[in-house]
Amino acid sequence: MVRAIRGVLIECEPAIKSIIVHLDSINHDFIIEDLDDHHLVVKENMVQILKQKLEDRLRETYRPEEPLADSD
Amino acid sequence: MPPKRKAPPVGAQAPAPKAGRTSAMSTSGPATPRSLDDSNLSDADEDLDDDIPEEQKKKEDLLSKEADEFVRKFSAIKRGLNKQDDAERLRHYDAATPYFKKKDFSYLPLKPDHYNRPLWIDPNTQTIVLERFNPLSEQATDFLITIAEPRSRPTFLHEYVMTTHSLYAAVSVGLRPKDIINTLDRFLKTPLPASTREYIETCTKSYGKVKLVLKNNKYYVESVDAQMLQILLNDPVIGKLRVQGTDTTSSAPKMGGLVIPGTQNAAGVRQANLVDGPVAEKKPGDQDAAAANEADLFANLNEEDDDDDKENVHAFEIADSSVETVQKRCLDIGYPMLEEYDFRNDDINPNLEIDLRPNTQIRPYQEKSLSKMFGNGRAKSGIIVLPCGAGKTLVGITAACTIKKGVIVLCTSSMSVVQWRQEFLKWSNINPDDIAIFTAESKNRFQGSTGIIVTTYSMVTNSRERSHDSKKMMDFLRGREWGLMLLDEVHVVPAEMFRRVISSIKSHAKLGLTATLLREDDRISHLNFLIGPKLYEANWMELSQQGHIAKVQCAEVWCPMPTEFYDEYLRANARMKRTLYAMNPRKFQACQYLINYHEARGDKIIVFSDELYSLKQYALKLKKVFIYGGTSQAERMQVLENFQHNPEVNTLFLSKIGDTSLDLPEATCLIQISSHFGSRRQEAQRLGRILRAKRRNDEGFNAFFYSLVSKDTQEMYYSSKRQAFLVDQGYAFKVITHLANIEQTPDLAFSTPQEVRELLQRTLVDNEKGAEEDVETDDLFGRTGRKKKAGALSGVRRTAGMLSELSGGQDMAYIEQNKAANRALKQQGAGGGKSSKAAAMAEKSSFFKKIEREKEKSRAAARAARQ
Amino acid sequence: MSIPAVPQSYQLSDYLEKLPGTTFRKLYQQPSSAFAIFRRMLPPLAKVFVQALLYMPQPMLLSDLDVWVRPEAKMHRDRALSILRSLHIVQITPPGKDRPQEVQLTTNFRNSLRLALEGGAAHNSFGVPSSLPVDPRIDIAFLDNYARKKWEDILHYVVSSVPVHGDAGPGGMGGGGPKASVKDLLLAGRLVERRPDTKTGIGITQAGFTFLLQEANAQVWTLLLLWLEAADQAKAAAAAASGVDPKNAPPTKPDSIEMLSFLFMLASLELGRAYDTDALSETRRNMLPALVDFGLIYIPREDTRQYFPTRLATTLTSSASALRSVSSGFTAATNNTANDASSLGGADPSAHKGSIIIETNYRLYAYTSSPLQIAVLALFTHLNMRFAGMVTGRLTRESIRRAISFGITADQIISYLASHAHEQMVRAAAAAGRPVLPPTVVDQIRLWQLENERMRTSPGFLFKDFENVEEYMALAGYAEEIGVLVWRSDRKRMFFASKFEQLRDYLKSRKKEG
Repeated sequence: MVRAIRGVLIECEPAIKSIIVHLDSINHDFIIEDLDDHHLVVKENMVQILKQKLEDRLRETYRPEEPLADSD
Repeated sequence: MPPKRKAPPVGAQAPAPKAGRTSAMSTSGPATPRSLDDSNLSDADEDLDDDIPEEQKKKEDLLSKEADEFVRKFSAIKRGLNKQDDAERLRHYDAATPYFKKKDFSYLPLKPDHYNRPLWIDPNTQTIVLERFNPLSEQATDFLITIAEPRSRPTFLHEYVMTTHSLYAAVSVGLRPKDIINTLDRFLKTPLPASTREYIETCTKSYGKVKLVLKNNKYYVESVDAQMLQILLNDPVIGKLRVQGTDTTSSAPKMGGLVIPGTQNAAGVRQANLVDGPVAEKKPGDQDAAAANEADLFANLNEEDDDDDKENVHAFEIADSSVETVQKRCLDIGYPMLEEYDFRNDDINPNLEIDLRPNTQIRPYQEKSLSKMFGNGRAKSGIIVLPCGAGKTLVGITAACTIKKGVIVLCTSSMSVVQWRQEFLKWSNINPDDIAIFTAESKNRFQGSTGIIVTTYSMVTNSRERSHDSKKMMDFLRGREWGLMLLDEVHVVPAEMFRRVISSIKSHAKLGLTATLLREDDRISHLNFLIGPKLYEANWMELSQQGHIAKVQCAEVWCPMPTEFYDEYLRANARMKRTLYAMNPRKFQACQYLINYHEARGDKIIVFSDELYSLKQYALKLKKVFIYGGTSQAERMQVLENFQHNPEVNTLFLSKIGDTSLDLPEATCLIQISSHFGSRRQEAQRLGRILRAKRRNDEGFNAFFYSLVSKDTQEMYYSSKRQAFLVDQGYAFKVITHLANIEQTPDLAFSTPQEVRELLQRTLVDNEKGAEEDVETDDLFGRTGRKKKAGALSGVRRTAGMLSELSGGQDMAYIEQNKAANRALKQQGAGGGKSSKAAAMAEKSSFFKKIEREKEKSRAAARAARQ
Repeated sequence: MSIPAVPQSYQLSDYLEKLPGTTFRKLYQQPSSAFAIFRRMLPPLAKVFVQALLYMPQPMLLSDLDVWVRPEAKMHRDRALSILRSLHIVQITPPGKDRPQEVQLTTNFRNSLRLALEGGAAHNSFGVPSSLPVDPRIDIAFLDNYARKKWEDILHYVVSSVPVHGDAGPGGMGGGGPKASVKDLLLAGRLVERRPDTKTGIGITQAGFTFLLQEANAQVWTLLLLWLEAADQAKAAAAAASGVDPKNAPPTKPDSIEMLSFLFMLASLELGRAYDTDALSETRRNMLPALVDFGLIYIPREDTRQYFPTRLATTLTSSASALRSVSSGFTAATNNTANDASSLGGADPSAHKGSIIIETNYRLYAYTSSPLQIAVLALFTHLNMRFAGMVTGRLTRESIRRAISFGITADQIISYLASHAHEQMVRAAAAAGRPVLPPTVVDQIRLWQLENERMRTSPGFLFKDFENVEEYMALAGYAEEIGVLVWRSDRKRMFFASKFEQLRDYLKSRKKEG
């Protein structure tokens, strides 16, 4: 029986996908369907949370924002 | 030589050494074992044991408290705006003001000729902005480096910050508050803000007022301010300690006849005298040369003084035994003493027969740094900061040749010890019998009445395991009074260790040398107290433009991780994460590609890896030689010699033991595959490995520095953090996201998914049990004699850190002995007798033939596979 | 490194290219217009061609033009000719077998340009100077200040729609900013848009930022062209309402050609001189209030029979090198009012144009005291200290990403930095044979932008669990056909579509049929 599931398609690099899969593995509350290396479908109501968590995750890999040395 | 200042040698008089041991238990010490995982950014490991006499312990505790006090007093001074400024500020407000919050200083009006003045100042934080393209920039730079800390020195505009420490340093090299204020005002585009004036006055009020001077082997408390001396004499503690009837007044000391050897001045003197007199007196005819020479502003300021007020100094004598008490008391009442050594008037300590070789010329910046040390004809203690490869050693040697008294040199490794001695022999005319080495292997003394001892910090601080010889040697070191203590690589040595060195060995002047005053811990200010202020800090970019150090192209290569690796990375613990991002097959390929590329260009390449596992995997797979903590002494020698002279050996893999104390001027390219977290210092140190490249003055020559980082991992974060220091020195790191035609690299490793999976599996299995046990190594030329023992005790040994660990010397033991590349070299070396260069060159070793054959074979196989 | 051109907003050439030939014939009736087009719109080679043809009694052989062109510069020749044709300045006979191609100037253009150059005949095309006494206080410095203030008010309105560090933008712009008519124009031109989430109620758009990053001269043209278009639309609307063919609309509503030729006339006037408003046609007089609002002309309150063109007007058709005089003129004006000249070590302060230094460690220094320029910098810079004549700051990941969130692109920022680079940077780069901006900084700005683009999301529906291949293929095919298919995998027999209803209906009907 054909099913149509409401969701959000995410298109991204493999690394981003890996992180999403990893985040999902904790509570399995994001992913509806893992499509391939570059695509997956996630729950619509979880997209904002996912974006936030992803940003948090990536932040630890970003060039750190050095406070201006002279700002007291 | 009777001990002069400090308490008699430990042991001779220490009441109960046994008691010391027990008391040490209660003192906080590095008694907790550390795991590798929490070794985070720490530099503050200690190679100290608590097995020391009570007396020593007390002294160290005291020093520690004093240092804390010193730091606390310094940081208490507020720098902010005063009310007057603030009111002025509020009157100026426009649409753009809100963008700057409280940092809109446009209310400070420009002087009419502000074009000709190079500085602005933030009256709030005392941050100074310098226009490098201003005609007065050179003079202003000389001035700023004396009074402020450089924060940012790229191309066009530099930033400096005045701090309590930097002003302390300025005062200690002889600048007076009014000099600082007037000169700053002269260079500023705006009038000097009131808060800045206040700040300078407050900071300098109590510093540099009182000096402790050793003259004719008597200690004098000296000040230019007679009132100041009155305050001290009225002090209940100090007053009593005055030696009656010793009050003197004399004219202030001047650079006078003192000539720093190796300078143009010295050359002039030599010409005039035609001999190298022990202390050359300056002839009137040299006056012009001297004036021309002392182009830096600081010197000019001093000369201006000569014209107007002939300054007088007032002094009274104190007894040797009360020096420490007086020092302590002065600090307590807010007038810390500056130490100066009037070595020319020291008739008690015998002179050392030493001078720079006649053709030795020191470079302008070396001269500049030394002129801060000897500015008034006496020796001041302090720290000189020069990039690696810029000739720190020669600065130390020149200082020794200027003072011409007994010298003790402290290094971080026994390899440095050997190098320091060689350098002394190379640059100076010191009699080889007068310079001795104190290491685990060698415990010589000089024969004459005075001389030079070169040793390591750990030799003089680690009292456990001390042999009878060492003990005797230590007594010898402690029982003397040294004219100069040279402290190499001061940034890597824990403050605790300094404390022990300084409180147990008596020296009149201390000169600290380092490439970076960076410490990831917060102990720099302690160094200011223990050694002295920073006297000079060179500008890396400038030295590189002038050809003193190599020009370097820096790049950060982003290596994406294959999905299966990255998935594993996300799941892994911190330790395994590190291994995984080091073992990233894409990184491996990038490394292989860069090695191929640079070997083909004729570069000699050093590949650095902090991770022993990846170091070995890379080196073995790429069939390159490598050195790590567990490599035996003989093997290290052999590998290094081949790297230097054998045209077949162009790439060397090094663990972090190679970070410092390694002089390989052949190296022109550096690749980092794994590093110590976000350590800015390690980054600078490693860059230093290629700064002295022999070919640096070849037309268009560039050295290369690559950091390979795994994309989307913490390594990216660490990598940019590491670069922060160098970036502020003006280095630019280019991000490379793709290496052109990497897929066409012959025999590219891990080019199939199958190989990638196998690599991952192997990496996981091999590292399952976590890091293997550490072995103690000293350094690149480690005391291999101790290795076995350390191995046996390994579990225990780790309870106390080691100096070698601090300098990056600690690595996992890899029991499996070096094979492949290294072994071949060994065999070859054995065949050719001593691991001589000639032997290496003469017979093309069977090893390389074998490697060639293997490579050819695999290439053929690859070709066959493709067809 | 190549600096990307700022994505050009609407430019005069775009506007002109759309005009029909009849319009050009009308435009070229004015010597000032022909001269302005000649001066401003033509590349050097095209000018050479025009000069060669100007006094030719007969059409010339097209091949004869090659005398002026080096063989390797054929591309330039073709480009020059193409421009000349699109502006209806030359006519070229079509290629034929029997006759070689010939080229000549169009009649109106030729006649007007000759008149303009010879200065003969009282055509009033270059304005009529006022014969009334002139207030001596109205000098060039006064006019520069006036124009600067007017223009900066407009720019401020655009830039200050951006909140500062989360709170309201620097308020109190003084005088409430530009006139409502100008604000409407900016809104209509989508340089700003209504945004309820900001305190001012409007927000900058990407086009607005592009506008800010332009040279003053290009900015003026952008606004004027918006004005011309608005006029055309108003006229069309008025005509539609009254049921008249727009071509025959009453002359009180100026058409864009009339306006354009007036602008070209203004461009030919002399800065600092008073001109007679009575000598203007009624349509042109009707344009004066708007031009006052833009700061292109000044009309003394006491005597409205005089108007003074400002530098904004007189430099409208200046050649590229003279364009700089707009900003340097402003620099001079700034220096007159505020004592804190942008300071340059030793060098003549008026000699430089760029003010920004960007270092390899991302620190930015700008020699400026203009609140406007500071506000522009604040769009993408973390500002730190401000001194008289100089501000410091740093490009950070946050500051760049914030700018990107406003629709400003990395390339725009890079281009702004490049075009405003301080002469010290330019000089050092030239001496070392390096690009003006540190390549690492340029790369990093782009990388920061890329960080923002690592994940794309599209809402919709995942279709799966098909009963058989045929069903899957049919539905996926249909989804593709009606343009709702986003992604498909034939191997997995799944697809993702942006809409659901039509597919459901299709499936139902298919089921019925089946």
